[in-house]
Amino acid sequence: MDPYSSWTGARRSPWWGTWAIVRTGLNLILRRWIFWVLIGLGLLNFLFNFAFIYLKATIDVQNKTLGDFLNNYQVTGNGRAYADFMFAQASITALLLAFAGSMLIGGDYRQGGVVYYLSRRIERRHYVAGKLLLIASVVTIITTLPTLILFCEFGFLTSSFDYFLDHPRILAGILGYGAVLAVVQSLLLFAIAAWVPRTVPLVMTWLGMFVLVQALAEALRSINDNRTWLLLSIWGDMQRLGRWCFGTLDAAKTPTAEQCAAALTALCAACLVLILARVRAVEVVK
Amino acid sequence: MSDISTIDEGERRGVSPPVGPSVTPPPVAEFRNVTKWYGPVIGVNGVSFELAPGITGLLGPNGAGKTTLIKLLTGQLHPSLGDVLVRGQPAWTAAAKRHIGYCPEVDALYEEMSGRQFVMTMARLHGFDRATARDRTEAALADVGMSDRADRILRGCSKRMRQRIKLAQSLVHNPDLLIVDEPLNGIDPVGRRELMEFFRRFRDRGKVVVVSSHILEEMDTLADQVIFMGRGRVLAMGTLAEIRQMLAEHPQRVRIKSSQARDLAGHLIAWNFVRGIELPAANELTLQVQRPDEFFRQFAALVVERQIDVTSLEATDVSTEAIFEYVMSSN
Repeated sequence: MDPYSSWTGARRSPWWGTWAIVRTGLNLILRRWIFWVLIGLGLLNFLFNFAFIYLKATIDVQNKTLGDFLNNYQVTGNGRAYADFMFAQASITALLLAFAGSMLIGGDYRQGGVVYYLSRRIERRHYVAGKLLLIASVVTIITTLPTLILFCEFGFLTSSFDYFLDHPRILAGILGYGAVLAVVQSLLLFAIAAWVPRTVPLVMTWLGMFVLVQALAEALRSINDNRTWLLLSIWGDMQRLGRWCFGTLDAAKTPTAEQCAAALTALCAACLVLILARVRAVEVVK
Repeated sequence: MSDISTIDEGERRGVSPPVGPSVTPPPVAEFRNVTKWYGPVIGVNGVSFELAPGITGLLGPNGAGKTTLIKLLTGQLHPSLGDVLVRGQPAWTAAAKRHIGYCPEVDALYEEMSGRQFVMTMARLHGFDRATARDRTEAALADVGMSDRADRILRGCSKRMRQRIKLAQSLVHNPDLLIVDEPLNGIDPVGRRELMEFFRRFRDRGKVVVVSSHILEEMDTLADQVIFMGRGRVLAMGTLAEIRQMLAEHPQRVRIKSSQARDLAGHLIAWNFVRGIELPAANELTLQVQRPDEFFRQFAALVVERQIDVTSLEATDVSTEAIFEYVMSSN
């Protein structure tokens, strides 16, 4: 039977096409050794924390005094520790995305590959959703998922499941911080890679958004000690909002979580405008 | 390349409303007074036509509006005015795109993927489940003769192989309308012949093929009809013979080889639709003829009546290239 001529099934919704975009993108990342190096770095951090939680649980059982001593330093099992872990993972993810952005997004605009998508049975919104979901997936796999595993590990290695019931804010914090990182980074990377598609300029712009803008924010703050300038730092805003999700943000200090959320919302809106403008700009004949 | 039938009952069953025998199905593709602006620049202007089954050559100089026309037809652009319909649906909708196969000129493939994976990915974007996408990928690869080489990484593929992979990804959902942008660019003569054979076979399945090309001589043998574009307008559309007929201000050039060339010239000079005669050699004459149909009819009668020995008779400027030049110079 010739499948090319005899297929009689119904096709899925075009939204399924977004999953095809995600799968393809993840597949491409896993094919390059440079990304494996960064993934390995993230994995190393995860394994270190995983092993530390196991070691601490063992100490708690074998030497309660030493366990209590370690608890004083709150190095694991609390919101601050998970936020620190996610921050470290997010830094690795940002580095990975800096290099992967050109391949995942930039190539579509640098070489005109976007026509392969837009001539399929999907529309622009499916394409945009697929690409955003792809970047968000990378962020989640490297940042949120390992943190959830550590959270579960810590809970399971305690004497009862009360840890999960007593610390719902930690779970909300992991999911909240993960969502902030995924949403902001996916929109920001798509917007930058669509307009600056070549690898080197993209890496410089992407890292500049985090490193240089942060330095600029710090410099402006130091002029008259106005901490509101820190809102300029995207990385800092994400971190502060993440800590607020965990309940570990110092509410007395500016910028507040609300201010950070407003700044990031404005940034995301600007990115969305840039993305839509770029996707529409495919129409312009060069 | 294998020859396979591609009647896809499932697709038609899936989208088309019940159609009685007396209802004419919508044309595969239709432009209804379409205009597209890019700010102050007009891409295409007031274009209307229907695409009939067969191979249509899309020709025109740079900036003529070919790219815009293709983008409108593949649903990448919305018209500023008018409608572009594919099987009765606006071309930019998913319902229309299921009937469209597009093989772009750009070679921006995922270099790390194999050809098979690339085609499979494109199949998944059309909404097929994994098993169906795999089956259709294999069928499309077989159709373009790449089944045995599709596992090669795209970065290492030759231009000819990449062209076939691009073609396979455009066929994977069994479209009714195949749009191919500059398919013969950079392809060696053997590859060109194979591609042209493929387009003919695809046409023979009752499909529509639109080929945009700068290689005009290939269009002589490939295209059933051509669309000449210039300055955003369709300057002429039809078979080459039909368009040639329309170019009344350009007399057709006819070359005749005959041992009685001078006698023949003496007869022909008296005909009012023969605008000029040259005798480049002793047994050859070249004519400039208006109303060529009438000329050929009378010429046949003359040859029979006068028992004139004619060894060859050919119209020398009915090639795509010649007509293209005439059309362009007329506009």
